[in-house]
Amino acid sequence: MLGYIRSVPAVWRVLVCLVFCRNLTSIGAAPICTNAQTGCQALSLANLFDRVIQHSARMHGISNDLHSEFEQYFLPSKNQIGRVSRNCHTSTILTPNGKENAQRMAREELTEVILKLLMAWRDPLWRFHQGMAHNHDFNNFSSNKALEMSDMVHELRKGVEKVADKMQMLGIISNSVSSQVSPEALLPSDSAEWHLMRDYDLLYCFRRDSNKVQNYLKILKCRIVPEHGC
Amino acid sequence: GAEINDTFSCLFMVLLWTLSLTPVFFCRCLLDSLEPHFTECISRDQETFRCWWSPGSFHNLSSPGALKVFYLRKVSPVSEWKECPEYIHSKRECFFDVNYTSVWVPYCIQLRGQNNITFDDACFTVENIVRPDPPVSLNWTLLNISPSGLSYDVMVNWEPPPTADVEAGWMRIVYEIQYRERNSTYWEALEVQPHTQKTIYGLHIGKEYEVHIRSRMQAFSKFGEFSDPIFIHVTELYSEETTFPLTFILVFGTLGILILLMLILIFQQQRFMMILLPPVPAPKIKGIDAELLKKGKLDELNLILSGGIGGLHTYAPDFYPDEPWVEFIEVDPEDSAAGEKEDHQGSDTQRLLGLPPPVSLNHHLNIGCSSTISFPDDDSGRASCYGPDVPNQDTLILMAALLPGQAEEEEATLDEVERAPSPEGGESHFVQSQTAGSHTWVNTDFYAQVSNVMPSGGVVLSPGQQLRIQESTLSAEKEMQRKGKEIGACEETGEKKQKGLQFQLLVVDPEGGSYTTESTARQISAAPNSPTPSEGYQTIPPQPADAKPAATAEDNQSPYILPDSPQAPFFAPVGDYTVVQEVDSQHSLLLNPPPNLSPHPCMPQQPLKALPATPVAYVTPDLLGNLSP
Repeated sequence: MLGYIRSVPAVWRVLVCLVFCRNLTSIGAAPICTNAQTGCQALSLANLFDRVIQHSARMHGISNDLHSEFEQYFLPSKNQIGRVSRNCHTSTILTPNGKENAQRMAREELTEVILKLLMAWRDPLWRFHQGMAHNHDFNNFSSNKALEMSDMVHELRKGVEKVADKMQMLGIISNSVSSQVSPEALLPSDSAEWHLMRDYDLLYCFRRDSNKVQNYLKILKCRIVPEHGC
Repeated sequence: GAEINDTFSCLFMVLLWTLSLTPVFFCRCLLDSLEPHFTECISRDQETFRCWWSPGSFHNLSSPGALKVFYLRKVSPVSEWKECPEYIHSKRECFFDVNYTSVWVPYCIQLRGQNNITFDDACFTVENIVRPDPPVSLNWTLLNISPSGLSYDVMVNWEPPPTADVEAGWMRIVYEIQYRERNSTYWEALEVQPHTQKTIYGLHIGKEYEVHIRSRMQAFSKFGEFSDPIFIHVTELYSEETTFPLTFILVFGTLGILILLMLILIFQQQRFMMILLPPVPAPKIKGIDAELLKKGKLDELNLILSGGIGGLHTYAPDFYPDEPWVEFIEVDPEDSAAGEKEDHQGSDTQRLLGLPPPVSLNHHLNIGCSSTISFPDDDSGRASCYGPDVPNQDTLILMAALLPGQAEEEEATLDEVERAPSPEGGESHFVQSQTAGSHTWVNTDFYAQVSNVMPSGGVVLSPGQQLRIQESTLSAEKEMQRKGKEIGACEETGEKKQKGLQFQLLVVDPEGGSYTTESTARQISAAPNSPTPSEGYQTIPPQPADAKPAATAEDNQSPYILPDSPQAPFFAPVGDYTVVQEVDSQHSLLLNPPPNLSPHPCMPQQPLKALPATPVAYVTPDLLGNLSP
């Protein structure tokens, strides 16, 4: 009886693992498991980092493509000064703005920042995709990219959570990382600000944030497991 | 007028204002050439960045300090314009070091002149203006050359730019290699990839190539500058060296194989000829020497063929009308050649039954045909043996082969034996006991020669082979040394009625030559038939003395005629079978006596001329010339 109870979280982990594994197969990843379950193989931390970094790079690439497309279609005003006042909704999240700052930051903090960023973009991207799907101005290619982007954010967040769990298991970070995001970072769905933020700005902000995530993950990896690739 | 002036100035002001709002930084309009503007802002390492400006056509503003750069960093909700932290007037550059650089933070810069006139402004974020430096330490190594020797592959290696902090993961750089032929203007670009090596395939031998590389940030589009080019050149000499020994080897290998084949053909020519052109069996007629044909002595040939004086025994049935049918019994040379000679003394019956033959009382009597046949003998009739040893060993073969008989003849043979001189009696009894001791049926031969066919329809058979052998063995041993045997034989043979005894058996002495003595020959020829009514075989024991062919008996001057041997041989009556014709290695002929010439054997001293046509063992080709019908 006790064994059955104990196996439940293991089964839950397997299910989570399988979900994550299925999503990550797009980049040719083998199933990841936190503990050695049947059918999965435990991966090293370096391997996990490589996977999430690959994922974030792809995500950033898609966001860059979309942004370029929007730039062609919408030809925003060349006056970039006006853009200065543009404020991304994730600006409230404190993120290191330089290499030294990022390197000086503690691992737990950095991981938390990453998770916060990813969490903050889950809903906006989903709504963005919904808006694109209904808008006939965009072709299917852009709409698919938007959908892919929102899925990737979702998967990447889960991946980073797994990395954090692995790090905690290995004792690299002390306390568990919470992915709780401060409420101000989250945009209410029906806020006026959201509607004002145009798609182009959203893409601009997301492109910037995905670059941040990619950078932070790389710094974290080269700091913790500086094997090949650094 | 004032209104017009006002309007005009207003329009001018509006125009100026509009122009001021126009971002000259990104606009390629004609005003660029007039106003000072920013040319470019670049960050090489994502930690610092620089901005350059140009005074344009305002040459009076080209002096340092005439134009100023202000920047705005939106790090806080409240931000203010600050002046460039570091000027490098020689380059007209504003340098922002690490302390003033923030990534992912919007920057705006302004180019201001005197009186805060803003000539140009721009906004950007640092990660978008990153252009990494080109890689360093570019080199190439030859991978391989194609088998045709026309193209080759090259591996190019390099190091990441030292200014980019790749180890910390701060910058993720991808590289792009481009190459072209020396005289070409079009660069071939390879795929962008993050590794620090790249293989270039399909370069051509003899052509010089130019290769350079540049880098950019991953997922961004702005490339850095190209590196200094390197040159790749693989000459044809190198390729020739690798192919030259190959052709060399091929040519000499082919030549060697050809020479080897020629040598094989030359030295094994005979074998090849045998395989390709097997020899056609030469026409052989028994008893006829091929030399006769060559020498063209047709007369002698005719004589021989016709069976005249000293002629061959032919198979023409009409010549010997009364002769029984001659049967050839094939003697297996292998049986006789191997092993002890004594074992082959048995009769055909014994051989067929696999019984051990009776102990040979005379070791001379060997049935053996030491077959020295090395080549397959294409002659018909295998009963004869070829080879130089034949005369020595075919004694018992001839006897055994030609002495079939039946058990019922036993008494006759015994009688015959008994009629021999008395000293033989014991032996004959011995023989008889010997033979009687064995199975009676052994003495019954399987093969019996029909000596004659009676008019009434009956068949006359020759005496048994085995008894003949024993008899001959015994008699040869005991009576050889006595003239009495001779006499006895004479008496014996004289008593016996011979009927058509034409054939004589010639026994060859294994020790001596292939010839019988003159007397022997006479006796052989004159030997009558067996005492039995049915003509049987008579064996002629071998003689120790060399003999002389009977054909030369007529000629006393023949060199082959030897003086009378001290031992007169014992001649049993000659059987119905003739001498097996053979040609030995000395090209001598084994002849048969003529059918109707059989002088009395009891006249051993008769001159040979009394036996005009007595055939003796062999006729040499030289002697044939002396033959005369």
